[in-house]
Amino acid sequence: MGVGILLQIDIIGWLRGLPSWIYGIISWLFNLVWAVFNYLWGIVVWFWALAIDQIWWLFKAIVFPGLVFVLFSIIFAVWFTRKTWGRVQARRGPYHLGKYGGLQVFADAIKLVGKETIIPDKAKRWMYRMLPSLLLVAVLIPFAFIPWSNDWFIADLSVSLVLTFAFLTVVPVVSLLSGWISGSKYTLIGGFRAANNQFAAEIPLIISSVGPAMLAGSLSIMGISQAQSSLWFIVLLPVNCVTFLVSATAITGLVPFDAPVADSEILFGWRTEFSGIYFTMTYFAEFAKQMLFSALIVALFFGGSYGLPYMPPILNFFFKFLVVLFFFVMVTSSFYRMRQDQVTHFCWKYLLPLSLLNVVFAMFAIVYVPGLAQMLGIGG
Amino acid sequence: MSPEVVDEAAQIWFGPQHVSAHGWATKLTIVGDYIVECDPNAGYFHRSAEKCLEFRNFQQGALIMERLCMLEAFLAEYPYVKAVEQIAQLEVPERAKVMRTIMMEASRIHSLQFWWGQFAAELGLFAMLLWPWVDREYFLNAFEELTGSRHAVSYNTPGGVKYDFTEKSVKTLEQALDRIEERLPKFRDMILRSPTFKMRTKKVGLFGAEQGLKWGLSGPNIKACGIPMDLRTDDPDPNLAYGMCDWEVPVTTNEEHPGQSDAYDRMIQRFKEIETSIGIVRQLLPQVPEGPIVDPKARAKINRLPAGEAYGRVEGTRGITTLYLKTADKAQTPYRAKIRGPCFSSYYSLKHLVPGSTFADFIVIFGSLDPYPGWWDR
Repeated sequence: MGVGILLQIDIIGWLRGLPSWIYGIISWLFNLVWAVFNYLWGIVVWFWALAIDQIWWLFKAIVFPGLVFVLFSIIFAVWFTRKTWGRVQARRGPYHLGKYGGLQVFADAIKLVGKETIIPDKAKRWMYRMLPSLLLVAVLIPFAFIPWSNDWFIADLSVSLVLTFAFLTVVPVVSLLSGWISGSKYTLIGGFRAANNQFAAEIPLIISSVGPAMLAGSLSIMGISQAQSSLWFIVLLPVNCVTFLVSATAITGLVPFDAPVADSEILFGWRTEFSGIYFTMTYFAEFAKQMLFSALIVALFFGGSYGLPYMPPILNFFFKFLVVLFFFVMVTSSFYRMRQDQVTHFCWKYLLPLSLLNVVFAMFAIVYVPGLAQMLGIGG
Repeated sequence: MSPEVVDEAAQIWFGPQHVSAHGWATKLTIVGDYIVECDPNAGYFHRSAEKCLEFRNFQQGALIMERLCMLEAFLAEYPYVKAVEQIAQLEVPERAKVMRTIMMEASRIHSLQFWWGQFAAELGLFAMLLWPWVDREYFLNAFEELTGSRHAVSYNTPGGVKYDFTEKSVKTLEQALDRIEERLPKFRDMILRSPTFKMRTKKVGLFGAEQGLKWGLSGPNIKACGIPMDLRTDDPDPNLAYGMCDWEVPVTTNEEHPGQSDAYDRMIQRFKEIETSIGIVRQLLPQVPEGPIVDPKARAKINRLPAGEAYGRVEGTRGITTLYLKTADKAQTPYRAKIRGPCFSSYYSLKHLVPGSTFADFIVIFGSLDPYPGWWDR
């Protein structure tokens, strides 16, 4: 037998061809990486172009009426609340750190973030870690629809009012869930109480907001705010404003409707087991909600950025916003806590008929008194 | 309870680490939002005061007693002092009698101020916690001016009192009274007229006088049912000066449920108690006679007591407080001391009062009975 039959491949030729084979593999891999890189770089270029085109919007979303501004105003609201509570309660409030205790909240936040995160054995771990962030996000998103002025807003959707309420409906679900998964009876009771509060006060809240929406002929918060350039809706819908305020207090869980976090009864309600950064998030979410409702009340009833003379529109909004926030804080420090059944009775027996009554009354007046709408200067 | 109810029931411990449970623990069985069973558990605050008393001589014993309830320290140490005085047959000087009475009533005001502030905070209004506590500070200042300490006063001693009134201490006490007289009516209206307060307290923790007496309640909890049961008039103490002033036992009547009292009535009753005490102090302050403040032979006499037994009692802020004292012959320490605090019965009456109410009302019922853990865990 010859050698050529035993070695059926040309080993020399094969060895000679090895580099080009390796080169082929490497260049294929290189091309793959190159293509992926180009694809990703294309996305970056596209995004950058988009960002440069939308730089103004980005600035608004991130810096001024957006995230940074909202977070700083939450910090301000915490300070403001504590200082006002202190004054009401014959104390001084925080005063050690910074001017008038202004840095106290930062110190508290650093302390809370630095604390150990304790997760109870019975808790569902991944939900326990996720829910507080979800809560904060759900509360922060509706700030995009707040019309701080005609120029300073992030988004103006035609259904932003409905969307805001939809996002706020997430909050009691998160509360109930976090009460449930914390693995404690107290948190479970607190979670159900939070759900009950929402259940009681949501309908009066939404019906109260129907009045301004119908008068303005728009479901956009911006549209409603702009419709009040000549007349604030509180003049036409005073009862609705009050019912909106009261049901907002109930949904936020402030005194006298603070049964979900009643400290003398169920420790801290559904927030009992949260510690460290998770507690900080729920704590901030509550203040964010309070601020969101203050802003909504200003936009729906107090004429948004219109009305006060000698002030630029945005300061106009802020001023009214602070007044409403101050009202919230004062309410928080001057009532006793209501029981669960009393909250539901109160909301359904008094708030719901009252809110309906005012809407119906205003509508009949507009429809049956000819020329009233033109005289008051409202469209819709 | 029927079997299906038992299946749904959950047991929940209210305390001992709960915020409003200051060292007491109650086991509640709840179905939904309703409490079906309440099981009070004494013992989480136990300091074995009765045993401690057996190792202290008769001068020191009162100091143990006042630590049972720091809020009414002047009142809490009195039963012991009274029992020792009975066994040693000490004569208390007139001046000491009046001064004792004044300080005991001031202590009662202080304790009630503390209570209603705390009760309002338990109902959710934190501002109402701090306002009365500011007034309470003035009383603490007066105590400090008189005795040198704010809480552990150690004022009463067998045979008289330890510290004499000075011009400044009387003045600080009068300042405290002035302040509370000015501010209390406002607070009273703010609380009793508040609609949310009425919602939470009316028809909550309703019980009749007969039931209350059966459970062993006394003091304001019974007086709120309309029964003028008060040791200050029922059993006039010769070593105190309640006879020197003109006052009536305050009672409250519930118009809807005659002979019964709810948390709202107990709040009214305690405001009336404060006003009565202010009246007594105001009348007694100008009447303090001159003379010694302590029986000069007292210290020698109580060094070794004869064999005997005595029963000292006083109308405390929360009800009748008594101490039974038994001594052997030539004893330096008591053979046996048995304390009967007013709050043990009010705490265990929750067993009958709470079932049927909601979980949220538990703390209202509990708070309205003005319990102090120190009195049931001796």
